[in-house]
Amino acid sequence: MLGHEEGPALQTDAYIDALLGRHAGLPVVVPGPEMLPPTAMRRAIELLERALPRVHPSFLFEARLATQLRAAAGGATTAELPLGELVVLPPRELAGVAAAGGASVGTMDRRLLVGGAIASGFSLAGAAAMFAWRRSRSRRRWLD
Amino acid sequence: MLRRGKGLQAPRLTPHDADRPAVEAARRDPRAFEALYRKYVAQVYSFAHYELRNVQAAEDVTAQVFMRALAGLPGFREQAEPPASSFRVWLFQIARNTLSNERRRARRHPEASIELAEMMPATDDVAREVAARDELARAWEAIDRLPEAGRRAIVLRFVHEMSTREIGEVLGRTDGSVRVLIHRAVRRLARQLERDAD
Repeated sequence: MLGHEEGPALQTDAYIDALLGRHAGLPVVVPGPEMLPPTAMRRAIELLERALPRVHPSFLFEARLATQLRAAAGGATTAELPLGELVVLPPRELAGVAAAGGASVGTMDRRLLVGGAIASGFSLAGAAAMFAWRRSRSRRRWLD
Repeated sequence: MLRRGKGLQAPRLTPHDADRPAVEAARRDPRAFEALYRKYVAQVYSFAHYELRNVQAAEDVTAQVFMRALAGLPGFREQAEPPASSFRVWLFQIARNTLSNERRRARRHPEASIELAEMMPATDDVAREVAARDELARAWEAIDRLPEAGRRAIVLRFVHEMSTREIGEVLGRTDGSVRVLIHRAVRRLARQLERDAD
């Protein structure tokens, strides 16, 4: 039943592989003309590769769940845990956010949404700094 | 002398799961699970958010997935034989099951969904922003219309950059059927884009 679609599906997959590889800066095998999917398919693949954002949870949620997991793992109690910490994002995602600020739409990296809101490099750094600042303030209040 | 017999099989190499050291550390001391959590929390959350379109629901599912993974870690076995399983595949299998449960619950208690395209804040470059918003909305719409399996396959392939083999392991399908699933989904989007252009 899938037999007649296997050839075109392989072409589609090879093209997706090449695009994702290029995106990640990996050496890619560019399919030859006979292996390329039709133009309309290529446009659709390029749209999906370019337009679908990665969604990142909010820093507060990430820190809260980390606390719950530590407690469930039998680690420190919540009172012993540090009040806040910066989450280091994988460099590729940060690079993507930075690229989105200056690149043309054709080469724009995938957008990154934090929680559900889109983040620019500036707002992402700002949110992280604000989070760290607020946590350090609240910690200081506890210590005072 | 080693004789070939019915029960004797050539040893097979197990492909190295990059997470193996972290998994073993977490088995020895569950507190070490945090490294795996930090590595995968965004991926699991993103997968859930694409499925549920709701921040709160995606957070709930993400929390359930990691709690289940932490509890189930002693039972997890990395294996090369079909059905193959790496830690990431196993985690996404938990996510898929948790999402299926959540979708059943959501059908019973429907809530308004949040459109990603509507949540993009304005920037100074209005024209580019409008184009990007439009592009995102079209891609999103196309994904919305896909059957569940196709939608999951597209998200795992394009957002999480999984191979078709990994997607097959997560969805319980063969490599070839995942390729065809993705091909059909892309063809559908291509036709829609052509209709939009007319």
